[in-house]
Amino acid sequence: MSESIGHGPSGSLGPPPSEPSEQSSSFYPALELRGISKRFGETQALSEAALVVLPGEIHALLGENGAGKSTLVAIASGRLTADSGEILRRGRLVSFRGARDARDAGLALVPQHDLLIGAANVGDNLAFLDPRAPFFESAAARRGRVSRMSEAFTLDLGDAGARVDTLPVGTRQRIEIAGALSGDPEVLILDEPTAVLAPDETAALFASLRKRADAGGAIVVITHRLAEVFAGADRLTLLARGKTVRACRTSETTAAEIGGLLIAGAEEGEGRSGKETIPLEAEKGGSALNGARLAVTDFAPRGSQGRQISLSLSSGEMLVLLAIDGNGADDLARAIAGLESFEGRVSLDGRDLPRDGDPLAFRAAGGAFVPADRREEGLVAALSLSENLALPDPPGRMFLDRRAMLSHARARLSALGVRTSSPAASAGSLSGGNQQKLVLARELARPARVLVAVHPTRGLDLASAAAVRARIHEACAQGAAALVVTADPDEARLFDAPIRVVFRGTVSGEYPPGTPPSALGRLMAGVAP
Amino acid sequence: MNRDSIASRLAVATAALAVAAAALVSLALLAGASPLDALRALLEGAAGSRAAIGETLARSTALVLTAVGACVAFRAGVLNIGLEGQFLAGAVAAAAVGPHLPGTPFAVRLAVLAAAGAAGAAWVLPAAWLEARRGVPEVLSTILLNLVAAAAVSGLVRGALQDPSADYPQSAALPEIVRFPPLAGGSRATAAILVALLLTLFAALVLSRSPLGLRLRATGLAPSAARAIGLPASQLRLLAFAASGALAGLAGGLEVLAVTGRLYDPFSAGAGYTGLAAALLGAGNPLAAAASAILFASLGAGSSAMQRETGVPGALATIVPGVLVLTVLAARARAGRTGP
Repeated sequence: MSESIGHGPSGSLGPPPSEPSEQSSSFYPALELRGISKRFGETQALSEAALVVLPGEIHALLGENGAGKSTLVAIASGRLTADSGEILRRGRLVSFRGARDARDAGLALVPQHDLLIGAANVGDNLAFLDPRAPFFESAAARRGRVSRMSEAFTLDLGDAGARVDTLPVGTRQRIEIAGALSGDPEVLILDEPTAVLAPDETAALFASLRKRADAGGAIVVITHRLAEVFAGADRLTLLARGKTVRACRTSETTAAEIGGLLIAGAEEGEGRSGKETIPLEAEKGGSALNGARLAVTDFAPRGSQGRQISLSLSSGEMLVLLAIDGNGADDLARAIAGLESFEGRVSLDGRDLPRDGDPLAFRAAGGAFVPADRREEGLVAALSLSENLALPDPPGRMFLDRRAMLSHARARLSALGVRTSSPAASAGSLSGGNQQKLVLARELARPARVLVAVHPTRGLDLASAAAVRARIHEACAQGAAALVVTADPDEARLFDAPIRVVFRGTVSGEYPPGTPPSALGRLMAGVAP
Repeated sequence: MNRDSIASRLAVATAALAVAAAALVSLALLAGASPLDALRALLEGAAGSRAAIGETLARSTALVLTAVGACVAFRAGVLNIGLEGQFLAGAVAAAAVGPHLPGTPFAVRLAVLAAAGAAGAAWVLPAAWLEARRGVPEVLSTILLNLVAAAAVSGLVRGALQDPSADYPQSAALPEIVRFPPLAGGSRATAAILVALLLTLFAALVLSRSPLGLRLRATGLAPSAARAIGLPASQLRLLAFAASGALAGLAGGLEVLAVTGRLYDPFSAGAGYTGLAAALLGAGNPLAAAASAILFASLGAGSSAMQRETGVPGALATIVPGVLVLTVLAARARAGRTGP
């Protein structure tokens, strides 16, 4: 813990190759992007966007979903080439032909979705990511690197021998962050690093980023959480519709002003003026007559020992399960949706779901599911928006009813405020937030009896997150029982529903939505509040 | 599809044909013949006369159907490499039932084709079952079933199916009246090619325009999403396996009905494998794959003529499909890298 980020115990991780920020050699920004434009097909992702990052600072990059944040950092890190514009490192014009060039120039990106090798273990993945790893290396040396990095960066990287595809998404992101730091970059860019982290982990991450910045490194963090920005960042840049609309020190502005700008940008883009109306209280009528809509009894993932979860939800009820990834809430959600086998009982409207995992049985019983990994499980990236929305039962008998698909798509997309050039665009071309809205649009297209949503607002801007919460409340008002899984205590409170904390396979009692986030954070970490 | 992609496809096709032609010329030089003479013989043999066109079309039937079979499987995410075996299974079924069925020629043809399609689908089922229940990769199991099918043909034409009136390792011939007649005098082409093209069109429509096709494509493009969304992914995969096998089996049945009239050993010159190459060249699109299959068939017909007339070994021309496919795949990989 006491090690600064640049000084691993092995000595292999030197301090960032830069001078302290106030020195004359640091007169130039560590990274400057000028007039960057980029177009994907019919979508102008960036037009003349600018970003200036100084040495020694933590710089927050903000913007609504689809504002171009991910595209901008992909260009800065050599993963995409801009149609026009300039990239300067310390005042010198540079151009990257690939991520490797950018890395050699001292720029590292931690992508929003990790690019780890699922079939390899943690030690091997970190060895692949470490540019200084020797060609031949013993398993012991690879284990050593994992514990060294874990300590140096104060990140819990899990068991060195664990296969990465068995790890929860939070751990995988921490591995990716450690991998990016292993190259000892002067400019470190993190694309929504905190979306999957628990509050204390977020604090630890910002603490280690701060140490790195103090040693002269420059850090860019994309985030939607304004609290983090004002607690942890020195300056911020706000993108809207592909343009830079605000760049200033965080001390020169307020969360309220930036929040207003973000929502204004989102609404302008969607051509909507009205605010989302959020039903305050879900209707709970009839629940006593109908019995439990969703009942979970003595649940445990197949092959796990002992720990059990029981809960039940009536028609119109919502429950928020708050947990750090890997504590069992995500397993429960996936098992209910029929994607994992389990022990115990899960029943919908009194009918038991098969224990071996059968998504069709869950769907047939009126279930809707929003998965955590929307790109992998939520949508088919290569198909168009209208085709995605038509699944799993496309209209038409002999031939697809394209007209019905298009009008259905238009209605659903505008209801959820998905910004896109056309329903014929591919789902993969959407930004992460819009992809999430697309998944919700499909799942809520018909009335659900049970809605299970895992991290439904993760990575969404404020306006989109509010819209998503409103849709889930609406589904409840129409009689669905909703189970929401989240890892963010602030987010959990916003659902305005009872909260139960899952820690190591057991579930706590109910807490009211007004419970302070710090207390929830302690419960998530297994410490009594 | 936008104009850019059509232009880039044309560029890829032109480049590939240039590379293939260059390969052919150097092969002719290696064999000590004039490349121009060789090329002329090749082109004339492929399409220079009614007989040549007939030869190309006769050879096309099996390739078109195995290519379309491969497309149906690939698009649903099923890597059916066993089209050769399913082709042989169809041919065996046709040769087994064809000589003995009573009825009008039309009814017999239908029954023979039904038997061939069913045999092709049946031959793929062990692979489908192993994949669904035991997680055995279908790439391995279908290739192994090819070897089993080839051995079975070899055994059958020397045993149960051997023509009692001959000593050769071949089955009894189908009655002349049952076999497809030539479309035109002096040509080997029969209505079989029309059957193949109709099935191609049908497969293309189902894949691109029907609800079932969309479900199959979604399953192939994103298997875990398909499962989570609530598509019956394992049934859809099984269906794709069976349809793919049935098409290859039909190819075998039509080969017996329209071209050979009987089963012998070795029966196939690799129709299943060439069909795979055509499906790759056509990027899983049945229409493009069928066009590629006809191109390969014309190369086959042309190279036979080339060998007859210039002495350049016809086997050398079989290098061309391989070169073509590799060139196109390399060009596509390059194009894919520049995209967003």
